[in-house]
Amino acid sequence: MSLAAGAVLSGLGVGLNSAVGEVFFVKPQEPLPEWTKSSKSAADETAELKTAIANVAANLVALGERAGGTSAEIFEALTFLLEDEELFELAETHIEAGWSAAAAYGKAVDTFAELLGGDADFDERVKDLQDLSKRVQADIAGIEMALALPEIGRLVLVGEDFSPADTAQFTKAVVGVITLKGGPTSHTAIICRSRSIPAVVSCGSAASLNNGDTVLVDPVGDRVLFGGDESLATKAITYIAIHEEPLIPVRANIGTLADAENATAKTQAVGVGLFRTELLYLNSKVVPTVEEQAAEYSSILAAAPQGPIVVRTIDAGSDKPVPFLHMPHEENPALGVRGFRLIQDHRDFIENQLKSLEIARVKTGREVWVMAPMIATVEEAKQFSDLARSLGGYKVGIMVETPSIAALIDQLAGIVDFVSVGTNDLSQYLFAADRMNANLGSLSNHWQPALIRTLARIADGAAKGGFSVGVCGESASDPAFAVVLAGLGIDSVSVSVSQVGAVRTSLSALDLAKAKEVANKVLVATSPEAAKAAALDALAQL
Amino acid sequence: MSVYTHEVEVLDPIGLHARPASQITKLVKETELNVEIGRAGEEFVKAKSALMLMSLKIKTGEKLTLTVETDDEAKAADIASQIQEFLKG
Repeated sequence: MSLAAGAVLSGLGVGLNSAVGEVFFVKPQEPLPEWTKSSKSAADETAELKTAIANVAANLVALGERAGGTSAEIFEALTFLLEDEELFELAETHIEAGWSAAAAYGKAVDTFAELLGGDADFDERVKDLQDLSKRVQADIAGIEMALALPEIGRLVLVGEDFSPADTAQFTKAVVGVITLKGGPTSHTAIICRSRSIPAVVSCGSAASLNNGDTVLVDPVGDRVLFGGDESLATKAITYIAIHEEPLIPVRANIGTLADAENATAKTQAVGVGLFRTELLYLNSKVVPTVEEQAAEYSSILAAAPQGPIVVRTIDAGSDKPVPFLHMPHEENPALGVRGFRLIQDHRDFIENQLKSLEIARVKTGREVWVMAPMIATVEEAKQFSDLARSLGGYKVGIMVETPSIAALIDQLAGIVDFVSVGTNDLSQYLFAADRMNANLGSLSNHWQPALIRTLARIADGAAKGGFSVGVCGESASDPAFAVVLAGLGIDSVSVSVSQVGAVRTSLSALDLAKAKEVANKVLVATSPEAAKAAALDALAQL
Repeated sequence: MSVYTHEVEVLDPIGLHARPASQITKLVKETELNVEIGRAGEEFVKAKSALMLMSLKIKTGEKLTLTVETDDEAKAADIASQIQEFLKG
């Protein structure tokens, strides 16, 4: 199938720059042969397996040398797994039972994958192990697994999605990347963002491209243009501030003392809208005392930008474990005992955290608001509010992340002083879509109409209940989306330190009536693409 | 040949994960001695296999027993102290 010049392939953009290059398809892996019994002798199969393992090991060493630095260590660790003695011995028993070398190694790896499975700490290693198993089987079958990318030219790589082993092989000829699957938080997206390679992910229609086609990768436009040149790239909207202060306060997200100092030194953030406290505990092997915690909080509160400081109590779970809380393994950590639910077994810890914050609040004289994450019911909100009010003189609120509490916002009247919406988790729970799952990337797009409607209802509920509502998820860091939030009735946003300037500018470029107009246009859109286009069109006319 | 027993504690916050496991395996292979590791009272695994070590799923704070088959008591103690270093994270 051939495309007409100017044909548009939609996806999700990563980055602000565009690139023109030639399509270079990274072929989906040829399927590996089925596992079969062997007609050759066990000695021959064992020798074949040894050779294949040696070939793959040599390849890993070469990849490690090319990648250098910490990546080289990763490849060395992979070589250790590949050549593991017990793994080899188990494979040998399968060979003696008549299986071919490829089947024997595959089966042995499956056994170890099962032994290591069900433990979040080893999930990545299990994936690595299975990747090694495929490489060994491919070597035996004579199937090419390396990407074999040219060193020169201007290539736009197109593939299903890319693994860490793939991205480590990207040469300087790679000017753009398109993936058919994978979302904005996929490994490919993160690597492309950090290496400033323009990318469009979740672009299924790119399957109709052919090798050698010239394309424009246009991340700002969330699209790939067949036959396009740089002049057609979508420009990021330039906002011109017409007011001194933004429509609603823009606060900073912090997790450490360094973040607090940065936010003060480098931004005009008004206070902190999300202080993630778990970072202070993830590396502690023993429970810090109230005095130790109070000292740490005092230095961070003192360094934070002027304005209120919204502190989230510990947001840990079995996927983000705090060593001294000994969290048992869970089948579904995102749906497990996390956030405020830890009060079941760790009431003392949460009480001590609140007491420490109170000491730090009094000592620094700062305005402190505290909120609990993962609240699902009005009773839980009441439980946290009663506890916090009995321990300190701060404002008390909750995070809105569960669809269940989003449905009952007005019932929080008289219980909370404020709520703060965590859009990343709210999306995950609203769409029943794991944030980290490559196949579900498009569902974590914050322009999804169901998320926007839900935010509108939360803002209405808070207005009815007479308390303030902020948004502290990633979505608020998108300058255009921040305008939509203000238009929906959100009272403040909190964004990563690097985005404070951009969001302040977009929110200073218009008045509230205009922001409401933009929000109303977005609210009637029936797809994320239409919602974003409606917002950008309206904003471009400012 | 005697068997010397030592106790080590996993202090690494992520537990006995891939890096310390491969460090231990590398050391044990170099010594060419039979070294086994496990939780007291449970089945022990051969320390020359990083995968077997990882399959114990040992978390931070756990105490482990290791046995070294050798006639050189000082060497056994040295291996144990090196392994303890790897487990500090």
